[in-house]
Amino acid sequence: MTATTATPQGKVLLEMKDIGKSFPDVKALQGVSLSVREGEVLALLGENGAGKSTLIKILSGAYTKDEGEIFFEGQPVTIRSPQDAQDLGISTIYQESNLAKDLTVAENIFLGRLPAKGLLVDWETVRKKSREILDRLGATISVDAIVSTLSVAEQQLVEISKSLNRKTRILIMDEPSAVLGESDLERLFQVVRSLQAEGIGIIYISHRMREIFELADEVTVLKDGRFVGTRRVADVTMDELVRLIIGRDLEDVFPRREVVPGEVLLEVKNLRRARLVHDVSFQLRAGEILGFAGITGSGRTEVVRAIFGADAHGGEMRISGKPYRASSPTEAIRRGIALVNEDRKAHGLFLKLDVTVNTTIAALKGLCRAGFIQRAKEKALVQKLIQDLRIKTPGASSIVLNMSGGNQQKVIISRWLAIDTRILIMDEPTRGIDVGSKSEIYQIMNELTKRGVGIIMISSELPEVLGMSDRILVMREGTIVGELARADASEEAIMKRAVGGDLAQGAAARA
Amino acid sequence: MTAAPTAAAPRHSRIIDLLRGAPILGPVAALILACIFFATQTDRFLSGANFSLILQQVMVVGTLAIGQELVILTGGIDLSNGMIMALSSVLTTGLIANSGVHPFLAVVLGLAVCVAFGVLNGWLTTAIGLPPFIVTLGTFNIAYALVRIYTTATITSVPDSLLFFGNTFSIGSTEITYGSILMLVLFAIAWLVLGSTRAGRSVYAVGDNPEAARLAGIRTSRVLVGVYAMAALSYGIAGLLLVARTGVGDPQAGQTGNLDSITAVVLGGTSLLGGRGQIMGALVGALIVGVFRNGLQLMGVGSIYQVLITGILVILAVSVDYLSHRAK
Ligand SMILES: Nc1ncnc2c1ncn2[C@@H]1O[C@H](COP(=O)(O)OP(=O)(O)OP(=O)(O)O)[C@@H](O)[C@H]1O
Ligand SMILES: [Mg+2]
Repeated sequence: MTATTATPQGKVLLEMKDIGKSFPDVKALQGVSLSVREGEVLALLGENGAGKSTLIKILSGAYTKDEGEIFFEGQPVTIRSPQDAQDLGISTIYQESNLAKDLTVAENIFLGRLPAKGLLVDWETVRKKSREILDRLGATISVDAIVSTLSVAEQQLVEISKSLNRKTRILIMDEPSAVLGESDLERLFQVVRSLQAEGIGIIYISHRMREIFELADEVTVLKDGRFVGTRRVADVTMDELVRLIIGRDLEDVFPRREVVPGEVLLEVKNLRRARLVHDVSFQLRAGEILGFAGITGSGRTEVVRAIFGADAHGGEMRISGKPYRASSPTEAIRRGIALVNEDRKAHGLFLKLDVTVNTTIAALKGLCRAGFIQRAKEKALVQKLIQDLRIKTPGASSIVLNMSGGNQQKVIISRWLAIDTRILIMDEPTRGIDVGSKSEIYQIMNELTKRGVGIIMISSELPEVLGMSDRILVMREGTIVGELARADASEEAIMKRAVGGDLAQGAAARA
Repeated sequence: MTAAPTAAAPRHSRIIDLLRGAPILGPVAALILACIFFATQTDRFLSGANFSLILQQVMVVGTLAIGQELVILTGGIDLSNGMIMALSSVLTTGLIANSGVHPFLAVVLGLAVCVAFGVLNGWLTTAIGLPPFIVTLGTFNIAYALVRIYTTATITSVPDSLLFFGNTFSIGSTEITYGSILMLVLFAIAWLVLGSTRAGRSVYAVGDNPEAARLAGIRTSRVLVGVYAMAALSYGIAGLLLVARTGVGDPQAGQTGNLDSITAVVLGGTSLLGGRGQIMGALVGALIVGVFRNGLQLMGVGSIYQVLITGILVILAVSVDYLSHRAK
């Protein structure tokens, strides 16, 4: 691989110098600098709330900086709006999709800039050019497909195509891999590499260390809004990098699993959902961490949503031997089941409400006396959770909308730690969470199992599945295609079952 | 990058953030400024008797606004409220005057009809999933028709017991109507329930993100039906206050109740998108309208200009709210 060239090459495209930005109560950035060369992948790293997204939003014109200077090809420039950034050739792919879901791929790629032929839109050109761009990325999706019918990975390709349809010198990607499964990653990497070969400078944000070493030439690390340092990837080890990011050594990411699973907590028999889930049966024991692996779209989320009563389904379930009908989330919670949702924005957070409300919404029954919420008790609970999960926020009464992505995820996790659950289901629990905090969440999961809680964990990060699970179920096309004990599990073994057949060869070779 | 904008930016956003954190501060400031303004314009404004009059003038709209606020917090809107109020007042007075029903029973029946309308509103929005705007536009017309079918004549023989809330008691030299106290008590109850109970939290949660609320274990349909029912109960009580204030059951009443109550809610800083706002904001909003009407009247400004100024106020208030949320 040529990803980690030893010496810097290409001329400097972009420089940010001593950037400062304050929000009320938060100094988000202070004296931060970075530079990107032509054809270089710069990874921007740091803990949750370090200021990565804020920095790139300044670059893309979404926020305006308070202090500092920006140079483009050596010339000082002012970026006051997204239009300014676009004019310079700076394109951004935010973590949340910005596509018009009901339009076609081609319409999205040309959104806001449809070419005209006389009074009419020149659809022929739109479709032809869109095809060219998609081909350039090696994407086989149809230009006429409606975006909402595409997978997340394909939608991301459309977003990238959309930015390539403009003059693009710098492409910023904020946690592009967070929504992708292991098998879609490879395609993203190929796309990034081919853009790199075209001389585009790329700023890449991710919390997954492995990607950094596979993809990046250089890393710039932030901590608490301050500049920590810039390194050539070729010159650092994984441990050094982690130390730069979290400011201390990380002993073991995964805790030692010593809990011996007890009696059967949850029994699922012939769980069915039309077209999505076919006859899924399994058991979860007390104190056990059961990992669910599989590619995106393999039906894992659909299974756990059914168990949580979020969607209609068929089949039989028992909790501790007693029949359980998952008629609604309310009923599931009453029976001691909790679900950390995969999509925190759509299915989890109350963005305009504060940290307290978001954290205790499911726990209020226990916090009420004579019908009224006991404020002191609630406050103490929230404070404890903020501390345990190291949630970075100016205070419990801050609005969740203003928090960084990783900290929002922590709020969702804390919601379910606030109540007594016996069965904790976590769908991509550490999505967007930094390395240090991940390890703390694993620790908490481990503690919970010591108290007899059974945990079902869905994860597309294989190291996480392997590191935490006592047992792993692999799903493919809506059924369970394999079960692996901790001792027999490996990335190859999982991928072989997850992908199935010939495809497994390529994926296993990569892993 | 000169020093000036750098220094100004954080201060600017601090004020915005204060407004965002406590959205009621803006409306309260506006109310106080309006009071100061009118106090300097006419010396009849600043007196206990005048303030009591303002309270009395806003008690019907204020009570309507309690229900409207609840509905808007869930992300809905209630166009039917004024007509539900009219129906309850006509029905209650009519049952007593024309059918000889005991006043207590008549009041209970009137309120029950209101709650039934609320349940209908809630059920249509949740079970069938119709937009609240359409549903309540429909029930607005239904209630209007029912009023007219029941009577087209004003019901004048209203028993004294129904006029109680129009009576006054005095603190010092100031006479205060029981009705305005009832409105304040209702606001206090709504404030307590919204701020300090599970039900109240659920209202905000459903208004902010219904799907997330459902997945957090909240029975969202129940919350919504409950909100529309409680809102309709407040319209029924507003109907009783209306009877007490005017002394009659008026089939012409309530036609602008929806817009007047929405005005109060919006002036109070509540977002029409749901999930954000405070019940006391609706009280402040109603008072702002009341103070302007009263003050302008004392200054001798014609009533049509009062309406004009109310319109300007609404647009101003929403602009401030919108800009403070767009600002980064
Ligand atoms: N609009 C805003 N208003 C107030 N505070 C904000 C706003 N945007 C970001 N912040 C604060 O600025 C800090 C940096 O946030 P930012 O989103 O840049 O972090 P990040 O490095 O991207 O973190 P993550 O890895 O979790 O995505 C956080 O403390 C956050 O709460
Ligand atoms: Mg971020």
